[in-house]
Amino acid sequence: MITPIEATLLAFVLATALATALFCDVLSSIIVFAAYSLGMALVYTYLLAPDVALTEAAIGAGVTTILLLLTIAKTVRPPTDALFESVHVPGAVVMGAFALVLGAAVLPAMPAIGAESAPVWANPEVTQYYLENTYAETGVQNSVAAVLAAYRGFDTFGEAVVVFGAAVAVLLVLDREVFA
Amino acid sequence: MSSDDSYVESQVIMTTVKVVTPFVLTYGLFITFHGADAPGGGFQGGAVIGTVVLMIAFAFGIEPTREWLSNAAVVGLIAGGVVAFGAIGLASMALGGAFLQYDLLPIHHPVRYGIEGVEILGIAAIVSGTVIGLFFVTAAGFTAETLARPERSRVGTDQQRGETGGEE
Repeated sequence: MITPIEATLLAFVLATALATALFCDVLSSIIVFAAYSLGMALVYTYLLAPDVALTEAAIGAGVTTILLLLTIAKTVRPPTDALFESVHVPGAVVMGAFALVLGAAVLPAMPAIGAESAPVWANPEVTQYYLENTYAETGVQNSVAAVLAAYRGFDTFGEAVVVFGAAVAVLLVLDREVFA
Repeated sequence: MSSDDSYVESQVIMTTVKVVTPFVLTYGLFITFHGADAPGGGFQGGAVIGTVVLMIAFAFGIEPTREWLSNAAVVGLIAGGVVAFGAIGLASMALGGAFLQYDLLPIHHPVRYGIEGVEILGIAAIVSGTVIGLFFVTAAGFTAETLARPERSRVGTDQQRGETGGEE
């Protein structure tokens, strides 16, 4: 069953996500979006995924927030008096129905956290192989790092080049040739 | 319009950044170098290391930081990371193995230090360089003049800086 800490974290994440969508002021949206990322980082930590949590904290709460703040500093922050956007009723009905279907049909069908029937254990020979043999074969203790850089190194090379490509694409879109 | 036209020198922010920055940089390096044995790694550590430059820019102004950290350094980080990652992968192919087959590398504990090398020299460099580069390029922004006369953005680095300074 869900613990009070989990419930608080999930309520915080939901509230900040809703606030991000509903705040009229762009600056307020950016700040609650950073709070949302911080909440997600805590959720990932609670789900024992510290690697993902570190990424969410550094990229989501840190870098993204700064880049968004810089963007409104360089463009415009539309003046507004209203605190919240007015809710678009047809859109809210569709999204509400979607959330209802997700909550009523999809969520109960998902395996519980750590359950034996979870997909991560569906191929125990693969998962167990990594957990049992990583240290003997690679000499590193973090099997996530071993899978990323050794067992699936070619994929990771592609991902690294995607980041490089993103940097080049930004220069192209902005019609510049230098970063500084 | 210069990028630091809204920059106001704040004693509180400058002092805080001076005190906190060494610890953030150390933490980023720790995450990067210790990623093989603890949560973290090149991507997370690289992002934290890149954030250090962003903090310095917020405290001491973006324009001085851009001048301090040249375009060559940022591009060198990003492209050098890709080259380092590819070179480690191709080195094992040159020795007759598969791409990134670390155990052929002629070093002490080849698999372990191969993974560390890819994480530190490759991924951390790419990510920290990209974070810094995106920040600088966003901070430079668009002016009506660069939009109207795109050839302005094609001039060299030094001339660009001179023009950015004179646009106010």
